[in-house]
Amino acid sequence: MAEALIDRQFLERLERLTIHWQKSFQGLVGGHNASRFSGSGQEFLDHRGFHQGDDLRAVNWRAYMRLERLILKLFQVEPRVPVRFLLDTSSSMATGDPDKFEYARKLAAALCYVGLVRLETILIQPFRDGLLDPISAGGGRHRFQPIAEFMQGLKADGRTDFLQVSRKFLAEYPQRGLLIIISDFLDDRDAEKPLQYLADFGHEIFLIHLWSEQDRRPPWTGELEVEDAETGQISKMNFDDEARDAYTASFDAYAGAVRQMALRKGGKYVGVSTSIPVEEAIFGPLMLARGIY
Amino acid sequence: MFFLNLSLAEFSALFAVLGGAVVALYLLDRSRKRIKVATLRFWTPSEKPPEARHSRKIQQPWSLLLQMLGLLLLLAALGQLRWGSPERSLRDHVLLLDTSAWMNARDGRRTILDQTKTDAVTWVRSLPASDRILVVRTDALSTPATVFETNRGLVEEAIKSSKASASALQLTQAVDFARQMQRLHGRGQGEIVYTGSGRIADKEAAALPKNFRLLTLRKAGENVGLRKVALRRGASDGELWEVFVTAHNYGTQPRKIPVALAYGHAPVASGLLDLAPGADQNGRYEFRTKAGGELEVRLIVNDAIEADNHAIFELPAQRLLEVDVYSDQPDLLRPFLAIHPWIKPKFMPTNSYTPETKASVVILDHFNPSAPPKTQAIYIEPVGGGSPAGAATPITSGMKLSWRNEHPIAEGLRTGDVRLERGEVFASTGNFSVIAQADGKPVIVTTTEPRKAVVLGFHPAKSQLRYELAAPLLFANIFKWLTPEVFGQKEWNGESIGMVRALVDNNLKPENIKVLNDGGVALPFTLEGNKVQFFAGNEGMFRVVAGGREQVYSLTLPEVAETTWEPPKDVRRGLPSMFAGGASSYDLWQWLALAGGLCLLLDWLWFGRIKLHSSVATPSPLNAVSRWVSGWRKAA
Repeated sequence: MAEALIDRQFLERLERLTIHWQKSFQGLVGGHNASRFSGSGQEFLDHRGFHQGDDLRAVNWRAYMRLERLILKLFQVEPRVPVRFLLDTSSSMATGDPDKFEYARKLAAALCYVGLVRLETILIQPFRDGLLDPISAGGGRHRFQPIAEFMQGLKADGRTDFLQVSRKFLAEYPQRGLLIIISDFLDDRDAEKPLQYLADFGHEIFLIHLWSEQDRRPPWTGELEVEDAETGQISKMNFDDEARDAYTASFDAYAGAVRQMALRKGGKYVGVSTSIPVEEAIFGPLMLARGIY
Repeated sequence: MFFLNLSLAEFSALFAVLGGAVVALYLLDRSRKRIKVATLRFWTPSEKPPEARHSRKIQQPWSLLLQMLGLLLLLAALGQLRWGSPERSLRDHVLLLDTSAWMNARDGRRTILDQTKTDAVTWVRSLPASDRILVVRTDALSTPATVFETNRGLVEEAIKSSKASASALQLTQAVDFARQMQRLHGRGQGEIVYTGSGRIADKEAAALPKNFRLLTLRKAGENVGLRKVALRRGASDGELWEVFVTAHNYGTQPRKIPVALAYGHAPVASGLLDLAPGADQNGRYEFRTKAGGELEVRLIVNDAIEADNHAIFELPAQRLLEVDVYSDQPDLLRPFLAIHPWIKPKFMPTNSYTPETKASVVILDHFNPSAPPKTQAIYIEPVGGGSPAGAATPITSGMKLSWRNEHPIAEGLRTGDVRLERGEVFASTGNFSVIAQADGKPVIVTTTEPRKAVVLGFHPAKSQLRYELAAPLLFANIFKWLTPEVFGQKEWNGESIGMVRALVDNNLKPENIKVLNDGGVALPFTLEGNKVQFFAGNEGMFRVVAGGREQVYSLTLPEVAETTWEPPKDVRRGLPSMFAGGASSYDLWQWLALAGGLCLLLDWLWFGRIKLHSSVATPSPLNAVSRWVSGWRKAA
């Protein structure tokens, strides 16, 4: 399943990368990515029986010699900086050629893999006009498979409501951490303010703005019936080169405003066109923005 | 005007359907384009008015008219619209494609067959699509390569896959065949078209029909070739081979051509032939060998046809006849065994006799063998009934010798008043053939069971016969009868493929003559006097066995015709013109297709979407014309 989303060679290249954030979060391990691995700081909590899939390194071998039963030692892990992904699954993501939603899934999967390799605690939270069922994972690259399958099961549908999403997210996840938002940030209402709330709450936001070339510069000309993918609203208009230029200018201005907001709030912003491959996007714009390195 | 493939009703129905589709597409093309986008927030309509209103009605009648016209013209082209009446257009042509041996001649880098194929294909493409063509490959035989066919691909494939044969062109037969095909299978007027070299084997010029057309006559350069090569062993010297070579100059210039003979790839003889234009020249060459091998006769010349410059023969090794002679008086027999150099006698005393032997013939001289020899034998004056002839009675003094000349052994034997003084005559003839008699009683007999044997009741060297020429001839005939494979007369001839004529001995009956091919299969032949004729269509080795004589024909030389055909002056020549008399209907589809394409191109240039977007005013051909006229006026 993972191979269907991302090929093996690409995964091997991702092994060298690390997700980067700047903030320090009170009470959490890992500010500036200083500590990523479990160590002596972990305290013993309890014993329990061994189940298939458990880490063999945590088996109490002395107890095994004595009782001839596999018993697992449980440690109290210190809280780590959570890396959360907000993945836009609204209908607008399904437009464009190539498809933005497919692109977003691949990109999110790749970044998850980077985080898992570095033993980060990962949470993927799909959203539309609210939060959908999330998936969390951590503990190494072998946890990537469920994430890949979860990604495959996602579908783009419905409208986007960033305000609702922000409210619910802040209520659901009070613990601060890195918040990577992958979206086209197209909301009928204002998307900047809800994003600003998230940053103000203490999350470090990393905005990955996806667009297709058709989103930025529509190729059509003449008499058009334009339908909004999310609302179904239809607008009839005559569209020519001048209108196209005006459209592109508006789009760029909006993207610039989102970018300014992210930077102003100590976050990061990367605009990615779906015309470039995911691999190039990760090793190009995302690295330049120091979101990963 | 008529449609070859569609009736008027069919054409109208098809046009109505396609026209409706075009109108629908036209309206659809002029309607709004519907698209789905991620958001409407950035979309602002253009401030300019739309170029064409979006209501679904005809806004540009000129565009629709051009499209409909283009469609009409293209449909007419597809329907193969033709000018003329259909009845007069049904023509069946016969293409006589010369594939005779002369077509292998080279003119430059290409053979004239290649050039002729190009001519034929050009002719095929010049014909209306409805004309049917029958391709006939002609040489000594006329072979149809297609049926009457309208499929030009099949016709061109048949032309291109034709190969030159090894026989000469029989033009009269080919024309007759074409007329017959047109009469039996044709459906209307058509031409008989010939293209080729014009080199024919006919003795008389063919009577050409009125619908005959000479497409091209391709001439080749000078050519000299072998016409016949004959080989035989020397009569007196068994190792000597005599080679007779006949070459012909097909060109117009006298030539001096070297001839080279190689046996087993080693040169054995050479000579020079002085050839006048259109004439034959013979040469005789000799070489000696006992071994078998391959003889190649080659004309050292670079001319138009390479295939007739050399001939190859496979010659057998000379075979000697080994004869074991058991005799206590060998000197008496030595003169009889020295009659031919191929006989190799070995004299031994009678007490050393054994039935086992490697020799082909055993002579038993005046003794009774313990067991009969296991090979062919000559018994001379057998003792005590020790011969296959059985019991015998002694010859009484003065019995007159006479010959039964109907047997091959007695053939040509004449003796005067020879009387036998001693010896034996045989009581009964039984399964024996009598060769000679003494006073009417058998004195020399032969048998073929269980193997060939000759029994002489007297010793030729001890009778009056020793003074007669018949004595050595008798032994020569006996050896020839016992071992025909050694002494049988054999000739090798190298000739061209086609009709072969062989001379045989007089008074031979057809049942005594065989014509065999490589595989030993008997071929049909005709016998006229002493002339045997048979037809060989392929290269190969053919044997004519008649009596004791065998003639081997190695047919590897092409049959190159020497007569140049002079076509009548009033015959039609070259490619037919498009509106020539026979072509009462002709195609219009090329022009219709061109006009249809032009209409669609104009529509695209004037009303195409690109133009639509770049111009504010609604374009039309009238606007374009008016702009051009106004510009011209300003310039004027």
